[in-house]
Amino acid sequence: MAQPETAPPRPAPEPVTAPATPAPGVRIDGLTVVYKTPAGELPAVRDISLTLEPGTITGIVGESGSGKSTLALSLLNAVQPPGRISAGSVEIDGLGDVVGLAGERLRKARGAHIGYVFQAAQNSLNPLKTVGKQLLDLGRSHGVDDLRGLVREAKLLLGRMGLDGARVLDSHQHELSGGMRQRVGIMLALVLNAHLVVLDEPTTALDMITQANILKIVREVHAERGLTTLVITHDIGVVAEVADRLAVMYGGRLVEQGPTREVLRAPRHPYTRGLIQAIPRLVGDIDEARALPGRPPTLATVPKQGCVFRERCALRMDICETDDPAALADGPRIVACHAVGVKERA
Amino acid sequence: MSATIIPETSGGISTASAMRRNFWRGVWRVMRRKPSRLAGAVILAGFVFMAVFGPMFYPDNLPGDANAITRPPSWEHWFGTDPQGRDVLALVITGSRYVLLSAAVTALITVVFGTGLGLFSGFKRGRWDTVLMRVTDMKLTIPGLPLLLVLATVWKFGNPLQMGLVLGLLGWGGVARAVRAQTLSLRERGFIEAARGLGLSTGHIIGKELLPSMAPYIAMNMLIAVTGAVYAQVGLFFLGVLPYESNNWGVMLNLAVFQAGAMITPYAIGYLLAPLLAILLLTLGIVLVVDAMDEIFNPRLREE
Amino acid sequence: MTVIARRLAGHLARGLVMILVVATISFFIVNNIPGDPMAARYEKLIEGGMSPEAAAQAVKVLYGFQPTGTLWQQYTDYMGGLLHLDLGVSVSRPGTPVLDVLGEAAKWTVLPVLVGTLLSFLVGVMLGVFAAIKRKSKLGDALAISGSLLHGIPQYVLAMLLVVIFATLIPILPADGPVDILFEPGFNAGYIGSLVEHAVLPVVTYALSAYGGWVLAMKSSVVTVLGDDFILAAELRGMKRSIVFRYIARNAILPLFTILALSLGLLLGGAVFIEKIFNYPGLGLMLINGVNDRDYALMSGAFLLITSAVIVANIVADLFYSTIDPRVRSGEEAA
Repeated sequence: MAQPETAPPRPAPEPVTAPATPAPGVRIDGLTVVYKTPAGELPAVRDISLTLEPGTITGIVGESGSGKSTLALSLLNAVQPPGRISAGSVEIDGLGDVVGLAGERLRKARGAHIGYVFQAAQNSLNPLKTVGKQLLDLGRSHGVDDLRGLVREAKLLLGRMGLDGARVLDSHQHELSGGMRQRVGIMLALVLNAHLVVLDEPTTALDMITQANILKIVREVHAERGLTTLVITHDIGVVAEVADRLAVMYGGRLVEQGPTREVLRAPRHPYTRGLIQAIPRLVGDIDEARALPGRPPTLATVPKQGCVFRERCALRMDICETDDPAALADGPRIVACHAVGVKERA
Repeated sequence: MSATIIPETSGGISTASAMRRNFWRGVWRVMRRKPSRLAGAVILAGFVFMAVFGPMFYPDNLPGDANAITRPPSWEHWFGTDPQGRDVLALVITGSRYVLLSAAVTALITVVFGTGLGLFSGFKRGRWDTVLMRVTDMKLTIPGLPLLLVLATVWKFGNPLQMGLVLGLLGWGGVARAVRAQTLSLRERGFIEAARGLGLSTGHIIGKELLPSMAPYIAMNMLIAVTGAVYAQVGLFFLGVLPYESNNWGVMLNLAVFQAGAMITPYAIGYLLAPLLAILLLTLGIVLVVDAMDEIFNPRLREE
Repeated sequence: MTVIARRLAGHLARGLVMILVVATISFFIVNNIPGDPMAARYEKLIEGGMSPEAAAQAVKVLYGFQPTGTLWQQYTDYMGGLLHLDLGVSVSRPGTPVLDVLGEAAKWTVLPVLVGTLLSFLVGVMLGVFAAIKRKSKLGDALAISGSLLHGIPQYVLAMLLVVIFATLIPILPADGPVDILFEPGFNAGYIGSLVEHAVLPVVTYALSAYGGWVLAMKSSVVTVLGDDFILAAELRGMKRSIVFRYIARNAILPLFTILALSLGLLLGGAVFIEKIFNYPGLGLMLINGVNDRDYALMSGAFLLITSAVIVANIVADLFYSTIDPRVRSGEEAA
């Protein structure tokens, strides 16, 4: 039933137009997102500060329930009720504070300024319409006058990713495989020339080969078009392969940030250490891989005071019960842990 | 995104009884939130009570007051009297026994047949499944009422047991479908294989694993079938194709409309309205209970 | 196109099988009526002086098969007659072929049912959308409950209540037949006006009894679609509100078309009650009269026609659905 996938992605042609808008930088400051529950408003994301430098690929790693998807949605001010952004700001170059945007301005920003790519597993397309028709809907929604040009650009993008553009545009969602749908999602995020792209779990539910392909495409497209990219994932492998900078989330907080290679080589936060420890190596004793004891917290079980990670932490101290560790910077690396703070300079 | 609250489980205590307790607590919560649901259960209980004990309060042949034929509602006769001077309320109460007895028989047959065939179909699949599904489909296409009418020419199934039987045989389709769907879905999710892998016998699998999880769907579909059956039996008597049997509400409706001219004159209003209200209340009760069950067992609805 | 043709063929085949089954049931029932009216008539004709062959022929004309002969012979006779669209002759209207009687009656059933279904669909769907969007408010809740309640009320109860209220207590609408006999049939205002006036209550009954189902179904469908990923995706891509709304509406209404056939079938089956109460000479009333007057040719003919109408409705609805849902369309192709 699926259309056969074509050969691996063709090499990039010369870019049709040099990127008109330079890649935007993003500054998230003190962002808090709460969800309304029968037990009151509980935070899914608490006091997160993160900077995405223009032109970089940042990867956010976290287990399910860590709040990473909520964080991603916040960049588009699209947190769904019963959630809402209760504090903080998300400043994007060229848009200002997204949290303050609403109505038509917000709608236009989405898609034209920021592109969002859904998980492959999600059905992010209208099952009743062809991809091409939805592309036209997209164009009309954003006041694109030259719809034919839009279609041409879409075909180019799809071709760039190794798909038969014309055929895909004529297809319905159910006629496309998971990998194809993911590429269509990437195309739709880029076709309006957005320069900030957010990818939520771009490789989940895809087979390994397709995963590798998609990541390659992400890297290449990022470079060609001069984007600022944010990749959300639970898979450290993905981040390792694609991101310049890595941020680790746990229980709604950012526990560690830094250049990817450095963080992976020498993780400082106990959680990051545990995550990396849990990955079995290709060589060596498989028993060396040790999973983190315990389970990640949910919205209801996140502790309101003190360090969110303390229940599973080997370096637990008394102060961890009462005080939320502050995020301390050490050059490009930022860690929020009492134990680390004690060891390194404050 | 909705908030999912995972209950704190203190490991060690018997999870089965804890789950059951949580379940009933959940039921109570649902009932409390929308009191109308509780009303449904109360109504049904009321009808059952009325059907079982009501007729005991009246003599077998209700006395007719020749001085008070076809009277509209009054203090003495809350719903008036019929053309023979009998109290309408009494007629409704004595008639309820037939209606509910036959409904009970229908319910029984629907459940037995429906569950049996549904399970068989879901388990065996293949040819038998297709055959069964075709048969159920066919049954659904043939409009029930006309079929019953035609059937009534060869067999006067007036007795409540016969009536229940006929309606049950016509109505098991819904339950069979639901049971089959559930069986297939559980099969798909590997439940059956897992149980077999543990070496459990088919009987055990059906009795202990499948049936309990299907019970609510069986119950709901059965109740829906019962509403249809009540509607059908009263309707058949109303149309006058079956010889009169006790004071079934349908008989009352028939007499009210075609003999007392209740739709034309206002005198016999009580006579017409009483059985109508009875039917309404009964179906209302069932609908409310089904709604409540739906909300209890369909977690997606409950999150709202 | 061939995909649709194949589907059509499949449906037609199944439909024909159904009609065969129904005709067979009908045959067996007529054949087994206690008192064996056919044999009785046969005897009577012979007493009256007819020859056995002529008498047998006469009975055959009436009922479609001879009172003598093997079961198989009778069956084939009957089926043969059906193929020639010969449904026998009515005894209650002596000399009139059943087909003619039913042909006259058909419009009184089909038209009110169609109009009623359409009305209930349109209103029900619109209110269903409303109920879904406002489902947290009291209004939305009330709508859903009203739909639920109406859905549960049996048709004849509804009909009788409407008659009592609008024809007896507050006599503003008539409930006694399709038209006032004082008017000359034809395209004149008086006749048409009376037709419409008399049709109000029956059509409203059909509409009200089906409306609840549509409200509930549409509400549930809209709620489901609202929770679908692609709606969020459309919003995150900055689609215009009107486009998103259209996405929701079309996707939500689609599954409802599968119920359309069911709804039509139910209404056609329930026509029996409505027509009896309102004295509408439609197929349902013919069926009842056939039973009560012991006019068995009429009875089985009406039964057959009603069932055929349901089958046709099912086929049409199913075909319609497969043309508008692309998933169903290409599912056949690729498989």
